[in-house]
Amino acid sequence: MIDAQTLPLPDFPKVRYSAWQLDALSPSQATYETPQFLTDESGIEVSGLTTTYLALSADLQAQGVRLTSLMAAQKQWPELVADLMHRVIPATADRLTAQNAVQYNTGIFLYIPAHVVVPDVLHLVLNQLALTGDDLVARLLIYVGAHAKVSLLQQLNTIGDQKTKASVVIELIAAADAQVNYANLDQFGPQTTAYINRQAQINDRATVDCANVAFSDGQVLTELRSHANGEGATTHVCVSALTYQKQTQGFVTAVQNVGRHSVGHIFQRGVILNKSTLVFNGIGRIIKGAKGADAQQESRVLMLSRRARGDANPLLLIDENDVTAGHAASVGRVDEQQLYYLMSRGLSQTVARRLVIRGFLGDVLAALPTPSARQRVIAEIERKLQDEQ
Amino acid sequence: MTTLRIENLHVAVSGKEILKGVNLTVKTGEMHAIMGPNGTGKSTLSQTIMGHPAYEITAGHIYLDAQDLSDLPVDARARAGLFLAMQYPSEIQGVTNAEFMRAAINARRPEDQQMGIMAFIEQLDEKREFLGMTEEMADRYLNAGFSGGEKKRNEILQMMMIQPKIAILDEIDSGLDIDALKVVSRGVNHMRSKDFGTLMITHYQRLLDYIVPDYVHVMMGGKIVKTGDAALAQKLEAEGYAGLRDELGLDIVLTDEDADQYVEVAHD
Ligand SMILES: Nc1ncnc2c1ncn2[C@@H]1O[C@H](COP(=O)(O)OP(=O)(O)OP(=O)(O)O)[C@@H](O)[C@H]1O
Ligand SMILES: [Mg+2]
Repeated sequence: MIDAQTLPLPDFPKVRYSAWQLDALSPSQATYETPQFLTDESGIEVSGLTTTYLALSADLQAQGVRLTSLMAAQKQWPELVADLMHRVIPATADRLTAQNAVQYNTGIFLYIPAHVVVPDVLHLVLNQLALTGDDLVARLLIYVGAHAKVSLLQQLNTIGDQKTKASVVIELIAAADAQVNYANLDQFGPQTTAYINRQAQINDRATVDCANVAFSDGQVLTELRSHANGEGATTHVCVSALTYQKQTQGFVTAVQNVGRHSVGHIFQRGVILNKSTLVFNGIGRIIKGAKGADAQQESRVLMLSRRARGDANPLLLIDENDVTAGHAASVGRVDEQQLYYLMSRGLSQTVARRLVIRGFLGDVLAALPTPSARQRVIAEIERKLQDEQ
Repeated sequence: MTTLRIENLHVAVSGKEILKGVNLTVKTGEMHAIMGPNGTGKSTLSQTIMGHPAYEITAGHIYLDAQDLSDLPVDARARAGLFLAMQYPSEIQGVTNAEFMRAAINARRPEDQQMGIMAFIEQLDEKREFLGMTEEMADRYLNAGFSGGEKKRNEILQMMMIQPKIAILDEIDSGLDIDALKVVSRGVNHMRSKDFGTLMITHYQRLLDYIVPDYVHVMMGGKIVKTGDAALAQKLEAEGYAGLRDELGLDIVLTDEDADQYVEVAHD
């Protein structure tokens, strides 16, 4: 048995989170009746301990695709799950990860065998039930086999309004030549303090493109880590975050280039409203032997309020000579001149700000795989701008 | 009829006085041109009329009909009928040209009379074609990566879509090739009506061959020092600002006083 408390807390530079008590969790046993987000999409919705929705075409089932709650998967295919779990994120990586490994009691399992091409976007929806004061402790485990191809939309939501915590650990394995589009929409509620650890392992010539939309309302720590292990493994990690009111969101977004000619690009955009805080830590690491690797990152933060706090810290750690790498980071306020230009055509300040925010986050929004996901994000921007007034 | 009236306007930027008593009246139905040496305050005047926060009015007034504009923020001035084609238009990533223009038009309409997307596109296509702009430009981000000439055309496109009462065009001709100058001029002339007035700032007599002004004003040292008709622009082109200054007996130092000599040296 792991003793999580002996391990150090994960490092989130410039984010003060010790008071958040993320290392004291009491996993919720709550169950739920009906799906809240899915109606006719392909995919799964898990609320608390209950699978409230599951739709997977007969064709995909026949090809061996497995999609269930994590607990059901452990009963049906115990060896397979045990074999895949912790391959990307070791159970003892840090205190919060270890705690999750010991305490998780819900989650989602997706297995796509080699050569399967999934035609529709697969939805993986996980809802925290904040109906009691207990916490969500969940894991997602996703395996995409060699030459398989899939587009995923993963959502995290809160149902209920109790003050709680959430710990979610997500592992994704892309086998050789797999192609994965992974978009996530994180929308935990204002009373939820969350720790999200999402990591991908990318093998030979596989591609994992991520669009990470971080629109939760409460305090959030997010670790996004891609391990470009294979020769020619490629990953583009896009992050778009909007913080408002008094919330803090802290990110560590890292790509590790291990494979020769591996490509890791990080592209982060954040908008900060009111008194909120947003910290982007971008880490590109190229290990010795990763010849021809390419590590790039660009992080930009836009503050729309004088009381906002933002940080964008790029870090490149390179142990190989024959590589290309670069970084750009900036923290800006909405340029007065731009706002003036827009307003000089008759737009009110509110409308002008809305256009600028949508525009600033636009590239990442465009990467969302469904119109309804984009619509949800636009509605969220609207709501947060309204609440700002 | 709408009247823009500027009375004894004094303006300072970062504590330095730039405009030193400008008087000017522009009515709908009239075409005015302002010429003047670099750095004399032409853009300062146009930005102050529009309401740029960096420009501080230290004395004098700007009225649009009975309304004192100092009470209105920039967006309200725009909705009241003013338009400024800027010398250096901003680039705004993420906001498409079309989206922006539709928002601008709808900002002038009541909630229940917003212009729908189809009607908008129809109008946009018509004006865009009139200005020889490609369809693709409507979907590009606002001015982002536009060439100098494309930006100027886009300012005129916005003007034609928004249909202001009084438009100030700050160097709408700079950076335009000869054909583009004709196209842009055609756009401005197309707007000419008893309900539209314009104040064009230009350095070149050429623009005024295409858009013939009713009045030409010369600005020097933060003031309008002379007003005439289109012939005044031709005279300036021939004699330069120094000639006019000396004729008027003004005590102003011009930066490029000896320009003619340089041209002669170059010919040697
Ligand atoms: N925002 C500003 N901050 C500081 N100085 C300014 C600002 N705007 C104008 N100025 C100064 O005011 C003076 C007048 O500038 P303005 O741009 O109005 O000149 P202009 O007549 O339009 O010149 P040009 O023909 O070169 O466009 C210049 O000395 C300029 O440097
Ligand atoms: Mg100027």
